[in-house]
Amino acid sequence: MQPRELIGLLIALGVGAALPLVLPVYMIGIVTEALIFGLFAMSLDLMVGYTRLESFGHAAAYGLGAYAAALILLNLDVPMLAAIPAAMLITGLIAIPIAWVCTRSSGVSFAMLTLAFAQLLYASVYQFKDFSGGSDGIAGIQRRAGPFGIDFFQTRNGYLYLVLIVLALAYVFCRHLVTSPFGQVLAGIRENEVKTRALGYNTRSYRMAIVVIAYALGGLAGALYAPLAGFASPELFFWRLSGMVLIMVIVGGRGTLAGPILGGAFFLFLEHELSALPYVRELWPIIFGSIFIAVILFAPQGLAGIISGWRHRNSQPAAADDTSSAETPHGAA
Amino acid sequence: MALLECRNLTKRFGALVAVDDVTLDIQEGEIHAVIGPNGAGKSTFFNLVTGMLSPTAGTVRFAGEDITGLPAQVIAQRGIARTFQLTHLMPGLTARENVRLAAQARDPARWHILGGSQVLARASEAADRALERLHISQHAESLASALSHGDQRLLEIAMALAQDARLLMLDEPTQGWSIEETDRAVEILRGVLAGGGVTVMLVEHDMEVVFKLADKIAVLHQGRIIADDKPEVVRADKVVQDAYLGGFD
Repeated sequence: MQPRELIGLLIALGVGAALPLVLPVYMIGIVTEALIFGLFAMSLDLMVGYTRLESFGHAAAYGLGAYAAALILLNLDVPMLAAIPAAMLITGLIAIPIAWVCTRSSGVSFAMLTLAFAQLLYASVYQFKDFSGGSDGIAGIQRRAGPFGIDFFQTRNGYLYLVLIVLALAYVFCRHLVTSPFGQVLAGIRENEVKTRALGYNTRSYRMAIVVIAYALGGLAGALYAPLAGFASPELFFWRLSGMVLIMVIVGGRGTLAGPILGGAFFLFLEHELSALPYVRELWPIIFGSIFIAVILFAPQGLAGIISGWRHRNSQPAAADDTSSAETPHGAA
Repeated sequence: MALLECRNLTKRFGALVAVDDVTLDIQEGEIHAVIGPNGAGKSTFFNLVTGMLSPTAGTVRFAGEDITGLPAQVIAQRGIARTFQLTHLMPGLTARENVRLAAQARDPARWHILGGSQVLARASEAADRALERLHISQHAESLASALSHGDQRLLEIAMALAQDARLLMLDEPTQGWSIEETDRAVEILRGVLAGGGVTVMLVEHDMEVVFKLADKIAVLHQGRIIADDKPEVVRADKVVQDAYLGGFD
C-alpha cells in the first residue's frame, strides 16, 4: 500500500471510530448497515470495475452470506465472530460451481447467468420452507457472544466497530489484490481477453477465481447484515438488490474500490433518511434514478472520478489536458 | 530436429479448404517468412500453430512435443509468442504495463493474489529491456491507446519479446504502416533479430520487408505450400512468380 492510501485509511478509521460519539443513537444502526452495503458494493467492484464482469446477480452472494450466518447462529451453538467468517467461506464454496458455469460465457450472457443463479436461489428459499422459513425468512438471529467471553461486539456501538474493522481489512485485502500480479492479469482480461490468453494466461481460471472471491466478500457483507437486522428475508436474493448494488458501484466509480464503498454507503443512508420523510418516500426511486442518469451522462467515472478530478485540478492548476485518457481503444476488438 | 514441425496441416471451413496439407519445418535460430496473396491461408495457418484454431487434420510439433489442438494459453506457456495482424493491446494500460503483463506470464509466482511485488519488479525490468530494444522507451508511461499506430505495432512486438519465447510468430508486423514507418521498423526489427538466439516465423504481405529480413521463405497459394527455400531461390522460382510475385514486384 502507498503511504498516501494508508493515511487515507487511517483517517477513515478515525472518523468511523468517532461516529458513535457524534451521531444520535438511532442513527448508529443505519450507519452500520450503510457500511455493510459499502463492503457489498466493493466486492462487486472486483468483478465489474477490475475485470469487466458485469454481474446482475450479486444479491446471490449477499443472500447466501446472510442465510448461512442466520442458519448457523440459529442451529449451532457458536459465537457470532465464528459464524460470520464461516458464512463467508460457505458463500465462497457455493460460488465455485456458480463461477464455473457463469464464466463459460462473457458479456451479456454472463450477466444473465449471474441473474439466473440469484433468482434460482430466491426461488429455492420459497421451495425449501422447512429449511429457510420461506417467505417469512429467518427471524430471531442471536448475536451470540464469545469466544473467550468477548461481548463488546454485541452492543450497538461494538457492532459498528466490528463492521468498520472488517471493512478496513477487506479494503486492504482488495487493494493488495488489484495491485498484485494476479490483479494485473485481471486488468489484462478487462482490457483484452483474447490477447491475455495469447500471452499464456488461462483467463477462465482467473475469471473464476475473481468471481469466487467477490462472492465470498459479498457473502461476508450479507453475514454481517443478518445479525444486525436480526432476520434474513428472501428479498436479500432478489434482483432489485442486485440492480441497486450494481448502480451503486457505477455511481461510486467502478475500478476504485473506495468509490463503491462511498456510493453504497451514501445511497443506503440517503434512502433511509429520505424514506422517513412523508411524500419523499414515494419519490425516492425517481430521485435515485435521476442521480444515476446524471452520473452516467456527466460523470461516467462516478463520484470517485469527480473527487479525483478536483484533486487533480487543485494540485496542478495549469496542467495541460490529459489527452491520453480520452483516446478510444485502437484496433483492439 | 526442427524447432517447429508442421505435418500435413489441413483446415476446412465447410467446403472451403483454407489450409491444405501444409508441411513446414522451422529450424532453431532462423527467420522463416510465410508469404502469399490475400486469402492464401496465411492467417489460418498461423492460428493453427498458435492454438487459436484446431486443425481438421495434421499435426504440429514444437520442440519435439505434440502441441496439436492445445489451447492458445498452453501453447504460449510452452514458449511460442505471437502478435496479431490487427493490433491486440490492453488500450487502457500503459505501454510498460502491457509489456510487464507479457513478461510475468511465465513467472512461476504469477498466481500470487497478495503481494508478489518481486514478481512485478522482475517483470518490470524485463519490460523496460524489451521497450528499449524496440526503441519505444520514451512511451513507457503513455497509455497504449495513445501511441501512434506504428508504435502500437512495435509495442506488441515488445510484448512478444518479453514473453521470452523460443519461437516468435509475427503476423504481418508492418501491416498498416506508412513507407517511412516501415523502413524505420524494419531497421529496428533487424536490430532485434540480429541479436540471434531467437527463432521467428513471419507472416508478411510486404515483399520488401520479407526479402530484407528472412533467411527462408515459404510461399502459400490457395492453402498449399508451393515453394519453401532461400529468398533468392524463391524470387527466381517460375511457379511463384506466376502465382504471386509477378503481381507485386
